[in-house]
Amino acid sequence: MVDLVQYAVGGLAAGTLYGLVALGIVLLYRSSRVLNFAHGDLGALAAFVAFTFLVRLEWPFLPAVASSLVAAAALGVAFYFFVLRPAREATLLGRIVVTLGLALAVNGAITLVWGADTKVFPFPLSDVRVYRIGSVVVSQMSLGLTAVGLLLMALLYLLVQRTKIGLAMRAVSQDLVAAQALGIPSRRIFALTWGLAGALGAAAGILTAPVTLLTPFMMLDPFIKGFAAAVLGGMDSMPGAVVGGWVLGLAESLFAGFVSFKFKTTFAFLIIILTLMLRPEGLLGREYHRRV
Amino acid sequence: MELRQRYEEDLYLVRGPAAWLAVAAGLIGLFLFPLYAPGYVTFTVVLIAVNAIIAIGLNLLTGFTGQISLGHAGFVAIGAYAAGLLAARVGLPWWIAWPAAGMIAAAFGFLVGLPALRLTGPYLTIATLGFGIAVHQVLTNWEALSGGRMGLAIPRVTFGPAALSADQRLYYLAVSIAVLLTWVAYNLARSHVGRAFVAIRDSDIAAEVIGVNLTRYKTLAFAVSAFYAGIGGAMLAQALRHIDPQLFTLFESIYYFSMIVIGGLASIPGAIIGAAVLTVLPQQLSGFREWLPVIFGSAIILMMALEPRGLYGRWLRIKRYFTTWPL
Amino acid sequence: MRRVRPLGMVLLLVGLLIPAMLGEAQERGITPTEIVIGSTVPLSGPVSYWGSGVGGGIDAYLKWINEQGGVHGRRFRVVLRDDSYFPPRAVLNARELVEREGVFAIVGMIGTANTFAARDYIIESKALWITPTSNDIWAGFRNRKYLFVTWPSYLHEGRILTQYAAEKLSTKKIAVFYQNDEYGLGLLRGVKYGVGTAKGVKFVGQASYEVTDADVSAQAVKLRASGADTVFLAATPTAGALIVREMAKLGFRPTLLATFTLGDPIMFRLAGEAWNDVYSTAYFPLPGTGDAKVDQMLATLIRINPALRGSPYNALAGVTFIEPLVEAFRRAGRDVTKEKVVAALETLRNWDGEVSRSVTFGPERHQGLNRLRVVKASNGQYVNITDWITYPTQY
Repeated sequence: MVDLVQYAVGGLAAGTLYGLVALGIVLLYRSSRVLNFAHGDLGALAAFVAFTFLVRLEWPFLPAVASSLVAAAALGVAFYFFVLRPAREATLLGRIVVTLGLALAVNGAITLVWGADTKVFPFPLSDVRVYRIGSVVVSQMSLGLTAVGLLLMALLYLLVQRTKIGLAMRAVSQDLVAAQALGIPSRRIFALTWGLAGALGAAAGILTAPVTLLTPFMMLDPFIKGFAAAVLGGMDSMPGAVVGGWVLGLAESLFAGFVSFKFKTTFAFLIIILTLMLRPEGLLGREYHRRV
Repeated sequence: MELRQRYEEDLYLVRGPAAWLAVAAGLIGLFLFPLYAPGYVTFTVVLIAVNAIIAIGLNLLTGFTGQISLGHAGFVAIGAYAAGLLAARVGLPWWIAWPAAGMIAAAFGFLVGLPALRLTGPYLTIATLGFGIAVHQVLTNWEALSGGRMGLAIPRVTFGPAALSADQRLYYLAVSIAVLLTWVAYNLARSHVGRAFVAIRDSDIAAEVIGVNLTRYKTLAFAVSAFYAGIGGAMLAQALRHIDPQLFTLFESIYYFSMIVIGGLASIPGAIIGAAVLTVLPQQLSGFREWLPVIFGSAIILMMALEPRGLYGRWLRIKRYFTTWPL
Repeated sequence: MRRVRPLGMVLLLVGLLIPAMLGEAQERGITPTEIVIGSTVPLSGPVSYWGSGVGGGIDAYLKWINEQGGVHGRRFRVVLRDDSYFPPRAVLNARELVEREGVFAIVGMIGTANTFAARDYIIESKALWITPTSNDIWAGFRNRKYLFVTWPSYLHEGRILTQYAAEKLSTKKIAVFYQNDEYGLGLLRGVKYGVGTAKGVKFVGQASYEVTDADVSAQAVKLRASGADTVFLAATPTAGALIVREMAKLGFRPTLLATFTLGDPIMFRLAGEAWNDVYSTAYFPLPGTGDAKVDQMLATLIRINPALRGSPYNALAGVTFIEPLVEAFRRAGRDVTKEKVVAALETLRNWDGEVSRSVTFGPERHQGLNRLRVVKASNGQYVNITDWITYPTQY
């Protein structure tokens, strides 16, 4: 029983990370229908930038993280203006491949600049300091991570559902031409979305680094799982992204603990496929009615 | 510009003597090539042929039918292991084992096609991605079947005259199959099946309204695509003569996907060009060591920025320029 | 069609004759001023930590040899290629290294999958092949005239550490944390072999992870639930550090045994305090264990390529791959052929290089290494705690 709860705690902690990654993917998909395969690598890059600020330049924690979030946002905006807009003739799949190219290039650049060896990311919350509830152990880091994840989800939800900017984002995603005709500055909206998504990716990267150690490939698995979580929750739902992450993390951890480590990813995807067979729009996604 | 007077003329695969000449020259060139090329170049072309077959299959699915697959390495793996096991354990000759491997992969393609009836876009992407990961994990951990991480040794196929080197024999086998399957794909694409595929891609609801049986054609697209991947897998196994689950990861699926987009969606020559570029480019860049991913990634971005319709689009523009030249 | 056939036959014959006539006048990869060495390792992708360390080590070591004037007036040139850990690319790289770059020898190749895929080709090409790092796949393999390996046996390493723990660390119940591939499985087999031969120790559990896994918390709970008093780590440095931290988090502190690639000084940084008192093995003197030659070599490598500071162990491992070959060139003399180099390699008896120790080859023995010693991590340093322990050679 203790083990069961402990597996669940571990699964939820991992799931929160997946959910954080999923938020950025969902945000971009909602407004531009682009699946950003570079999302994870941008997050890793931001974590490395923050690492340089923190360790090499010895900045205090908050300014270092804030600067790296800004840098990631700027990179997202730059990518939109200098790569995606020039390639706007490309089909949707073409744009996905562009982000794949970006993922490769960013990852390669990280290895070139910082080397392929693993580094320790200094973080104010400790992953090793733990709280005991009965005989179940929760680390300070997992608690902090969950809090940040929920906070970001709530803020994004408010932004998208309750503000004019959010309304504009939804408008450009549903009908670009009509939105432009109504005077919505679509270019600025897209750039803003890319910037926000970049910062979200950076937040995910910086929160992942202390848990998984800092390597150029640390976001590989969280990205795939985050993508899966986004789909499981429904690609257009912010709460869905977080819920999807938790379901995925729990499923993996419990299956690994009680059945098999080797097939845990297979099991997680089996659950996703079965869920999608019953609800093709994901757990919390809204059904999208297409017209001919 | 020639004038087409009958509907059938529009369907001809090869139009006019000039085109026939080009096809003949191409085939003769392919025939003579390995006699002069060094062994490693011949082997590179074998890998291009393998990737081209897989890419053509994937393009039938994604380019023509509009169904995304990020799990294609799973079909390739099934083909490779089916062919390898049929040859190594059952002792079947390649000309039975390979088509059988293609059919087994096609059966799995049919199964994966079933969820595709309800899923689109990212939902389908994740479903196929999950399939690819499942195949990889099963092959890794079911050691009695696959040999696990130690992999599976593939017996060498004996084919063709003994005067040729092993590379050359493999080349003729691979290239003949690639040419044959290219021809089949062209014929499929211009038949009523191909038109049904395109109708589904453009709007599956509209296609259903005008009488395209969605269940039949979507699963057929998956099965045909998986068949191509299976044959490609069987040939890859023969080329490397040792297979291991690590050959068939998500990275490979992403590679195949990039091939068709970079070459040109819904275009058979596009798939071949994409396969050739993505096989040769990283290989030629591998001397750049740590710089490879940066250069390769930038090259992908650049190709898509300059040629959003794929590299085949560039070729079409050049051709159009010269058909009206000097006007 | 019928007219084409004789023409084709003629062309075919011509095509076959041309390469035969060109022939090879001199030894491939050796000119009066140069010796060309090739290697294909993952320099990009998730395994690049290994590749860039080992490849960088080989490269820097040969630069150092060149600084001293090379061997018998010839300098070494290294053609290093990236295979990103993809077997087809490793095969193509091997082919291009041999057929296009014309290398004399291929040094290394990382991972059992790549080694297997390229094996037939490299053996048939008769290029010299030095130390592909793979599981023991060579016992019973016939054609190994040009293959020389100085890499420890995973099976025997697992056995030696397990037996040591049973005898000296009063281990009763052992569990294994391993990477789910040939590397981890080879060590797992070794531990089970050790459990079978040692007295009073039981195998109680195992937990695997994939090389891309970011989260190993479930594995830690599983290992704790197994009731083990000793856990063997068959993992990469990153995963090894992660599991040690996760177990510490749960308050589960068993005796830790770690495979030799975790003898990396980087572990003290990654795992922190938790790495103290870990037992591991070494096949060459680890830096900082009092061997001046190795410390000197590491300083030289870092001087030539400062990036190697981040992977000291792998850089030194790279040196152990190439060192015996360079020594063979020294022994083979100015007028060198491949057969002379092979003969010279086979004369190495308990040979000590800058980093390698006690390398022995012979006409019947191409497994150059058959001993390990147990080391212990304490206060940020590794300390030798046993003498060398030998194990039987297999090939």
